[in-house]
Amino acid sequence: MAQSRPKPLLQSQDQIRSARFRKEREADWTRLEKLVAAAERNGLQSMEFSDARDLSALYRQATTSLAIAREISLDKGLLEYLEALTARAYLSVYAPQERLGGLLTRFFASSAPQAMRRSVWYILAGFLCMGLGALTGYLLYFENSAWYHVFVPNSLAGGRGPGASTEALRNVIFQPDGIHGGLGAFATYLFSHNTRIAIFVFGLGVFACLPAILLTFYNGLILGAMYALHVERGLGWELGGWLSVHGVTELSAICIACGGGLQLGAAVLFPGQNTRRTALYLAGRDAVKLALVASLMLFAAAILEGFFRQTVQDTATRYTIGWSVGALWLAWFALGGRQR
Amino acid sequence: MSRPPSRRATKRAARKERRAARALAASTIMPPEGVPIHLPVAGLGVRTGAQIADVLFTMGVAISFTVFLAATEIASGSTVFAVFMLLFFIARIPYYVFAELAWNGQTLGKKWMKIKVVSHDGGSLSTHALVLRNLMKEAEVFLPGTLLFTLDAANPIAALASLAWIIMALTIPLTNPHRRRLGDIMAGTHVVHLPHPILLKDMASDQPQDVARAVKERFAFLPHQLDHYGAFELQTLEKVLRAEGRARSPAARTRQQETLVAIVDKIRTKISYPDPIPQADAAAFLRAFYVAQRAYLEQRQIFGDRRDDKHHAQDDENTQE
Repeated sequence: MAQSRPKPLLQSQDQIRSARFRKEREADWTRLEKLVAAAERNGLQSMEFSDARDLSALYRQATTSLAIAREISLDKGLLEYLEALTARAYLSVYAPQERLGGLLTRFFASSAPQAMRRSVWYILAGFLCMGLGALTGYLLYFENSAWYHVFVPNSLAGGRGPGASTEALRNVIFQPDGIHGGLGAFATYLFSHNTRIAIFVFGLGVFACLPAILLTFYNGLILGAMYALHVERGLGWELGGWLSVHGVTELSAICIACGGGLQLGAAVLFPGQNTRRTALYLAGRDAVKLALVASLMLFAAAILEGFFRQTVQDTATRYTIGWSVGALWLAWFALGGRQR
Repeated sequence: MSRPPSRRATKRAARKERRAARALAASTIMPPEGVPIHLPVAGLGVRTGAQIADVLFTMGVAISFTVFLAATEIASGSTVFAVFMLLFFIARIPYYVFAELAWNGQTLGKKWMKIKVVSHDGGSLSTHALVLRNLMKEAEVFLPGTLLFTLDAANPIAALASLAWIIMALTIPLTNPHRRRLGDIMAGTHVVHLPHPILLKDMASDQPQDVARAVKERFAFLPHQLDHYGAFELQTLEKVLRAEGRARSPAARTRQQETLVAIVDKIRTKISYPDPIPQADAAAFLRAFYVAQRAYLEQRQIFGDRRDDKHHAQDDENTQE
């Protein structure tokens, strides 16, 4: 505890131990207080080297002072001050130091595809849910076309249904969209039905998987019923093209979000050796990346839907665009972030 | 004669004590340095306040920008709509993530309310944690909230389901001492009040040297006279002494003087201090007693005899039994 600073002996002799303790360190604490204020105001990055070095050194000194003061001092004013000062300094010393650019690079180059590969079974389960839903919807429609009205909400059908003429259905697929096009359409699609479904699917996964499975299955039902309707009218191939442009990306995004949700739900249902809280925390590491990937894909799907779906009229081109974008996604997930 | 406290009162006191202990335990964070520090956990009220402030702010910016675009006729109708939708999207998740990343766990609303997100395990906040907790906020609060507004009476099941969902999302924080919502649990974070360091003067050494020595010689205390009180009484006395001399109006000053005299009488009886203290010297006596008592208690503490309050003697007997 001895410091080299010369002190008037007479004065400190008269003081009690904790008062002397405080007097010796007070200047350092005040300096730390100033540095913390500066770091909170402007960030550590913009501080000078000597200041940043002093901040961390003084912070460590202050934690030691706090530990000693708790043992030797009964001065409440001092204890509360040191407590608050150390906490403030702790928060600015341990502030996240990553740059935004580095974060994005890391996400795209390694962490996102790695997370996708780690949770491949959950994602396949998501695809399975939607696939089974589509199959069910397809078969049920051919059993009785009235099922269509049960599955497909009116807002989504947009006049398409068993009652509509084949010509009307064809028009929807090939109509050169005059009003909705470009940026406006992009925004509309961004907040369309599927985006909401994806967020629901992910968030609801926590509640024991079931809501996520049900929602994805239901989404599959809609898809299957709609496809069956068009197959019945001989428009199956054309509808496939119309959907492919954005659907490959968008429906995959829903399945991936479902995979993330399932991962969370599985952590709640089967925590293994951990507590449920820890299991959720661990599962969240990959699940959040899945959700981010899904939202990115939805964003891309909205661009495809807004700019390409109605401007590209040729069905074969539609297929090419949709599935090559899908192949690009797959390549990113399969090849990104591998150790060389 | 004082009656023994009723059973209900003791129960209530015990519950209060337990709650205080729990709050203290919840506020403790262990930084890598290994010295635990205390950051009081922020309650639901202040967090909701910060959230509402954030929503009002972001929506205000989005709407005024859109109105500006529409009024100046720079862009066409559909573009204005698209810009608004984009801003609206940014105001829901990205704003919170980037604000908390840039300002180390604070959005504008949180800055205003002086609260902050911290990492639950004492490390630094990771990007992953901030993204996750704000993503879950969307699923926990915003989506069912907007659903509740947009639904009508024609579809009561969906409305009830989203209501139940919101209620559940809001009860989760109440079931744990850190007031963590689902997103906090998953991200390993919780929200704390920012402490404000104010260095008060040391009551034991703020007098000029000669005055202090004169006082010390005038009022001398023997060890057995200092055996009565513990840290709690000492710190209460500290608070009284800090307030002394701050009173503005003459009436308040008289009242303060009366309090000091009453305290002096109590202490004199308790420690059987023989000399009478004139009223004018009450403050000086208390100061001297404070210094002597603190020096004594601190010395006892160094020797491992920590005295929390005046019941320390009984506590010792109880533990010996």
